[in-house]
Amino acid sequence: METFVIGLSIASILFMVALGLAIIYGTMNVINLAHGEMVMIGAYTTVLATKHLGFNIYLCLPLAFLVTATFGLIIERTVVRRLYGRLLDTLLATWGIALILQQLIRIHFGLGLFGIEIDGLGSDLQNVPVPAELQQAIRVFGANIPVYRAFVFVAALALGAISWLLIFKTRFGSQLRAVSVARNTAAACGINDKRVNMLAFAYGSGLAGIAGVLVSGFKTVSPDMGTPYVVDAFLVVVAGGVGHLLGTMASAGILGEVQSFVATWANDVYGRTVLFTVVILILLFKPQGLFVTKSR
Amino acid sequence: MTYRTASIVAYVVFFAVVLALPLVLNSFWTNRVAIYLVYSICAIGISMSWGYAGILSLGQGLFFGMGSYMLAMSLTLAVPENNPVPQLMLLNMEPDAVRDLCCVTTGSFLWIPFRSITVGMIAGIVVPCILAAAIGYVMFKRRTTGVYVSIITLAFALIGQLLIINNQPLTGGFNGLANLALLNIGGFEFDPYGPSAYYTVALTLLAVILLARYMLSGRIGQILKAIREDEARARYLGYDVENYKLFIFCVSAGVAGLAGMLFTLTSEFATPSLMATSLSISMVIWAATGGRASLLGACIGALIVNFVGSLASESATFQPVWPIILGLLFVFVVLFMPNGIAGIFKALVERSGKAERFAEAELSAREA
Repeated sequence: METFVIGLSIASILFMVALGLAIIYGTMNVINLAHGEMVMIGAYTTVLATKHLGFNIYLCLPLAFLVTATFGLIIERTVVRRLYGRLLDTLLATWGIALILQQLIRIHFGLGLFGIEIDGLGSDLQNVPVPAELQQAIRVFGANIPVYRAFVFVAALALGAISWLLIFKTRFGSQLRAVSVARNTAAACGINDKRVNMLAFAYGSGLAGIAGVLVSGFKTVSPDMGTPYVVDAFLVVVAGGVGHLLGTMASAGILGEVQSFVATWANDVYGRTVLFTVVILILLFKPQGLFVTKSR
Repeated sequence: MTYRTASIVAYVVFFAVVLALPLVLNSFWTNRVAIYLVYSICAIGISMSWGYAGILSLGQGLFFGMGSYMLAMSLTLAVPENNPVPQLMLLNMEPDAVRDLCCVTTGSFLWIPFRSITVGMIAGIVVPCILAAAIGYVMFKRRTTGVYVSIITLAFALIGQLLIINNQPLTGGFNGLANLALLNIGGFEFDPYGPSAYYTVALTLLAVILLARYMLSGRIGQILKAIREDEARARYLGYDVENYKLFIFCVSAGVAGLAGMLFTLTSEFATPSLMATSLSISMVIWAATGGRASLLGACIGALIVNFVGSLASESATFQPVWPIILGLLFVFVVLFMPNGIAGIFKALVERSGKAERFAEAELSAREA
C-alpha cells in the first residue's frame, strides 16, 4: 500500500510535467527539452519566494505558474517560433536553452560575475520549508500515507481537470484542438495559430512550474534537477499516445507504479531500468502509444 | 576554384595541421588535443548516421562508453596488482568467495577474455556493433523512424549507464575504471601525454574519415541520402531501406566504440558518465556545428567547440559563462546555420567560384 502511494505520487509529478509537454508536443510538434528546466525554475521560484517574500508553498503555486509561463512565452517568441516543422531541430535548440537556464541559476543570473550573490541561487542544493500540516501522515486502510504525497496527488488531479476544462470547454481549447489537427485549415478559418502556439507553450511551461513547486517539497533543489524529469515525462507522453489527455494520465500512472514497485522489490536503479524497458517496448510495438486518438 | 577542389584543399590543410600540431604543443596540450580528436571521431560517427541517413541517435554515448570500458577492462587486468583478480572486485566480493576471476563476484567471468589486450581491442569495436545491430534490428524492422529512434536510443543509453553504475562489483560502479596500465603492444608503450598516443588517435581519425568518405561517396552514400530525403520513395524504388539503415547505424556505433577505446588510451579512465545523455547530445551538437552532412565539418566542429570550451574553462571570467555561450551556440547553429561551418564554407566557395566565372566571362566578352 505504501509502495502504491509512493508510485502514485511519482506518477502525479510525472503527469504534471508530462501534461505540459504533451500539450506542447501534441499541438505544435515541438520537443521541448527545456521543459525540465521549467520544473527547476518552478522549484527555485519556491525557494526564493519562501526565503525572501515569506510566501508559503500554496502561494508559490500561482506565482511559479506565472514565472515559468513567462519564461515559456519568451522561449517560444525568440526561438521555438522559428523552428516549427523541424522536429529534431527543436530538440537540439531547446537543449541549448536548457543549458543556458541551468547556468543562469548557477551564476545568479549573471550577478554572480559582479560579486552579487542572491541567497537561494547558485550551484548549492536548496531546501524548501514545508508547512506543518503537510508533514503529517494519515492512516488509510492501515497504511501510513504522508499528507504531502496526498496533496501532490490531489494537485495533479486538479491540474488534470483544469486542463481538461481548458482544452474541451473553452473557446481557446477548441482553437487549440483545431490547430493541432489541421494547422493551415484552422488558420484559414480565422484562428490566430501563432497566438494559440504562444499561449499553449506558456500554459505547458506553467504546468511544469507548478510541478516544480510540488517537487521542491520532497526533493532538494539544484540547477540540474530538471533533466531527468524531461526525459521521463517525454517517455510518458509518447507511451501514452500523443495528444491524448487520458492516455498521458494513464501512462504516467502505469510508469509511476512500475517504477515504484520494482524499486521497492529490487532497487531504484532497476526501477528506472524496467521503466525505460517498458517504454522501449511500447514504442516498438505500439508506436502511436497505448491510447490512440481516433481521427475522423 | 570549384567546391570539389576546395574541399580537397580543406582536407589536405586539416591533415597537415593535425599531423604537425604535436611539434608545437607541450605534453599537456598534446594530450588535450588528442582527446578532442577522439571527440572528432565521435562526431564523424554521428555525421554518418544522422547527416547521411537521417538517423538521429541520442544514444551514441552508449557505444562510446562501451568501447571505452572494453579497453579499460583489459588495461585494468594488465596492472600487476590486479592479478589474478582486480582490486575493485576484492573490495566488493563476498568474504568466502574464491579468489579467481571465474567466480569472485557475480558475473566476473565476463572479464576472463579481457586478460588479452587483443581481445579487449577487438571487443571495443565488435561489442558496440553487435549491440547496435540488435537495437537497430528491432527498431528498423518495426519501421520506427525519426524522433522515436532518438528516444529509444536515448533510453538504451540511460539503461546502460544505470546498469554500469548499479553493478559496482563488476564494473567499478559510479567511479568507473581508473588506475589503468598503459597500453603496451609488442613492448612499445603508448604514453597518453606523448606523441605516440597522439599519433595513434590522429592516424585513426584520418583513416576513419577517409574510409567513411570513400564509402559514402559511392553507391551506399547515395542510397542513404535517398532514404534520408524520402524513406517511402526509396522503398518503392526497390531498395532494402531497413538493411541500409541497420548497416550505417552499426558502422556509426563501431566508430563510436573505436573512439571510446582511444578515449581510454588518452585519458586513462572509463566512467559511466561517458554514457550520459548530455555527452550523447553534445556529440550531436558538435556534428551540427561543423555541418551534419559533412564528415570533415563534423570533425572540425568537435575540435572547435571543445577547444574553445577548454580555453574558456581556463579563464576565471569565462568559465562560469561558457555553458551559456555553448547554449547560445546550439540555438544559433540550429536557427541560422543548419549546415554548420561546412555549409558556410560551401556557400563562400560557390560565391567566389561564381565571381570568378563571371570575371572570366566578362574578360572573354571584352576580347571578342
